[in-house]
Amino acid sequence: MRRHTIDFMGVRWWFLGFSALLMVVSLAAIGIRGLEFGIEFQGGTVVTFTEVSGVGVEEMRAAFEGQGVASPQVQSTEDGGFIVRTTESDPDGATAHYRGVVEQLGLPDDAGDVTTIGPGWGRNITNAALLALTLSIAAILLYTSLRFEYKMAGTAVVALLHDVILTLGIYALVGREVTPNTIAALLTIMGYSLYDTIVVFHRIRENSQRLVKQTFMSMANDSINQVLMRSINTSITSLIPPIAMLLLGGETLKDFAFALVIGLVSGVYSSVGVASPIYAMWKEREPKFQALKKRYARAS
Amino acid sequence: MDPKQRNVLALALIAVLVGLAWWQFWPPDEQITQGLDIQGGLSVILTAQETSQTVVTDDVMDRAELIVRNRVDRLGASEASIQRQGSDSILVQLPGISNAEDALAALGTTGQLEIRSVEGVDETGTPIVGDVLMTGEYITDANLSTDPTTGQIEVNVSFNAEGTQLWAEITTARVGQQIAIVLDGTVQSAPVVQEPITGGQTRISGDFTPEEAQQLKTVLETGALPVTLEFSESRVVGPTLGQDSLRQGVLAVAIGLGLVMLYMALYYRAFGVLSWLSLVVFASLFLGLLAVLSGFGWFALSLPGIAGITLTVGLAADSSILMFERFKEEVRLGKTYRSAAKSGTRHAIGTSLDADLVTFVSALVLYTVAIGPVRGFALTLMMGVAIDLTVAILFTRSIIVMLAESVVPKVPGLFGMKGADSDA
Repeated sequence: MRRHTIDFMGVRWWFLGFSALLMVVSLAAIGIRGLEFGIEFQGGTVVTFTEVSGVGVEEMRAAFEGQGVASPQVQSTEDGGFIVRTTESDPDGATAHYRGVVEQLGLPDDAGDVTTIGPGWGRNITNAALLALTLSIAAILLYTSLRFEYKMAGTAVVALLHDVILTLGIYALVGREVTPNTIAALLTIMGYSLYDTIVVFHRIRENSQRLVKQTFMSMANDSINQVLMRSINTSITSLIPPIAMLLLGGETLKDFAFALVIGLVSGVYSSVGVASPIYAMWKEREPKFQALKKRYARAS
Repeated sequence: MDPKQRNVLALALIAVLVGLAWWQFWPPDEQITQGLDIQGGLSVILTAQETSQTVVTDDVMDRAELIVRNRVDRLGASEASIQRQGSDSILVQLPGISNAEDALAALGTTGQLEIRSVEGVDETGTPIVGDVLMTGEYITDANLSTDPTTGQIEVNVSFNAEGTQLWAEITTARVGQQIAIVLDGTVQSAPVVQEPITGGQTRISGDFTPEEAQQLKTVLETGALPVTLEFSESRVVGPTLGQDSLRQGVLAVAIGLGLVMLYMALYYRAFGVLSWLSLVVFASLFLGLLAVLSGFGWFALSLPGIAGITLTVGLAADSSILMFERFKEEVRLGKTYRSAAKSGTRHAIGTSLDADLVTFVSALVLYTVAIGPVRGFALTLMMGVAIDLTVAILFTRSIIVMLAESVVPKVPGLFGMKGADSDA
C-alpha cells in the first residue's frame, strides 16, 4: 500500500501568503478593535450567579443599581446564570452589594461567586503575564537552539508567534475577554505549537543526514508526509479534551478551552504551512544544499 | 540484565505504582483536597503597601504575615491557609466560611499594637486587659539578646523621647503589676514590671523559647514600623457554585478521555486498546500523586488545575501515537517486528521528550512568574508531563516490545498492520 505524497512545499507560497493575510487581519483587529481585558488587569468586581430561575437581565441590572452600583454590565450565561461586572474595587462594598441583590431577588445565598480585584493589582498581573510570555519564548529559543540549530529555533519561534497573534486576533474579532487564564492558555499554545513543529523538524534532521539525489526542499516535503498521520492524530487527540471543556465546562474551563482550541488548530497548520517552508527555504541557501538544488531541482 | 527481564521488571514496577496510587487516592473526593473555588469560601490576596517610611522587605513581610495570622486565628477559621505570594503579597484562604463580610472587615483593619493594663486573669489564666496605656507608635526598635549569666533569651525594646517619658510614668505607677502587650486585640505577652524604667531601654525576660522570643520581637516591631495591607484580590465562592463547577469539570475530563479512547481504538485497533491501558495507568498515577501531595497539604485541586489535567490527557495519548506510528513505519521499511519495536519506540520517546520538555518549561515559567489561580494550571500541567514520560518509558514501550516479540507477528491485522505485511 503506497501512500500518497502531498506536495506541501509546492504550494508553500500559498501557505505563506495565507498566513501573512491572517497576520495582517489579526494585527488590524487587535489594533483597531482592541482587546478587552478582564477585571484582573484593571480592577473591579465580577459577580457570577448560577441557575437563577425567573430573573431577567433587566431585573438583575435594576437590583444592582438599587444597591447604588453605577452602570453594572449584566450578561446572561448559557446555564441560566448571570455574570455581572462592576467597577467596585473594594471587597467589603462588593460583598455588601451582592448580599443586597441576593436578598432583594430572593436568591439562595450560596449560589454566587464574588471576585474583586484592587486597582493596583492589575499592573502586577500584567507585568507577570508579560514576563511569563517573554521568559517562555526565550527559554524555547534557547532550548531549541541547543537541541537543534538556530535556524530551526528561529523558524519555530516565528511559527509560535504566528499562533499566538492569530489567537489574540480572534479574541479581538469576537470581543472575548482576555483573562489571566487566557495568558496561561497562550503559554501552553506555544508549547503545543512547538510540539508539532518539533515532530516535523526531528524528521527533517534525521533525513538530512542521509540526503542524496534530492533537493532539501523535496526531502522536507517527504518528511512532512512521513509524519503527517501522526501529526493529524496527535492533534485530534490533543483537541478532543479542550473541545469537551469548551462544550461542557463552566466559565473558568471555557476560558482556557477557547484559546487552546484555536491555538492547537493553528499550531498544527503552522508547523506545516509556516515553520517547514521557511526553514527549508532558509536551509536551501546553504552552499551544500544549493549544489543539490542545482543538480536535482528538475528531477524531483 | 537482558532486555526481556528489564521489560518484565518495568511492568512489575508500574503495577506496584498503580496499586499504591489507588490505595492513596481512593475515595478521591476525600483523598484529594479541593481548592477554594470548588469547596467554597473566601480567598483574599493582601498586598503590603510601600509608604514613605516603609520599604517592603522580607522583614516587613514577616510582620505582615504575623498580623494576618493573628487576625485569621481570631476569626476562628479552621483549615485556613496563609501563603506568601511574590515579594509583597499574602494569600489567605478561608474554606467554607459563612460570613464573608465579617472576615473581610477583620482582615481589612490596620494592625494595632497597644500596651494595656491588666485587671486580673480569667479561669483559663488569660489576662483580662483594661485601659490602653500607650500605643505601639512610640516604639522605635526591638531586638533579641541572651542574658550572659542565666542564658535566657531577652527581648529589648527602645522608645522614642516622648515614649520614654510615657513609659517611665507607666512603669513607675505599676511596679509589681502585670502589663499586657496586645496586637489587634489579642494578648501576645503580659510581663510584670520589675522597676520603674526611665531610660527608655527595656528588657523583657522570661522563659522564652527562641521562636517565642522572635515572635514577640516581631509583634513589638509592628508598633515601630506599621505595615499597611490592602486588598488586591478577593474572591467569595458559594459552595453550590463550586460543586457545580467541579461536576462540569469532571464530566469534561471524563468525556474527553472517553472520546480519545474511542478514537484510538478506531484508528489503531489493538494498539488503541493498549493505549487505553496506558491512559488508565496515566490517570491512576496522576490521581495518586495528587492524593499524596494533598496529604502533605501541598496541593488543592482548583478549576485551573482541572484544565491542566484535561490537557494532559491529550498529551498522554500523543506519546502512544508517536510510538505506534514509528513502529508501524519501521516495519513498513522492512525491519523485523522485534527490531522495529525497539528502535521505533526509542525514537518516539526521543521526540516525546523534546516536546514534553518544551511544555514543561512553559509551565514552569508560568508557575514561577504568575500570581494567583493560574499557578494551579501550571502545576498540574507539569505533573502531567512528568507522569506521561514515566508511563511512556516504563509501560507503553515495554508492552509494545513484548507484544512485537509474541502476538503482533501472528496477527498483524489486529494491530492495523495488514498493509505493512503485504509490503514486506
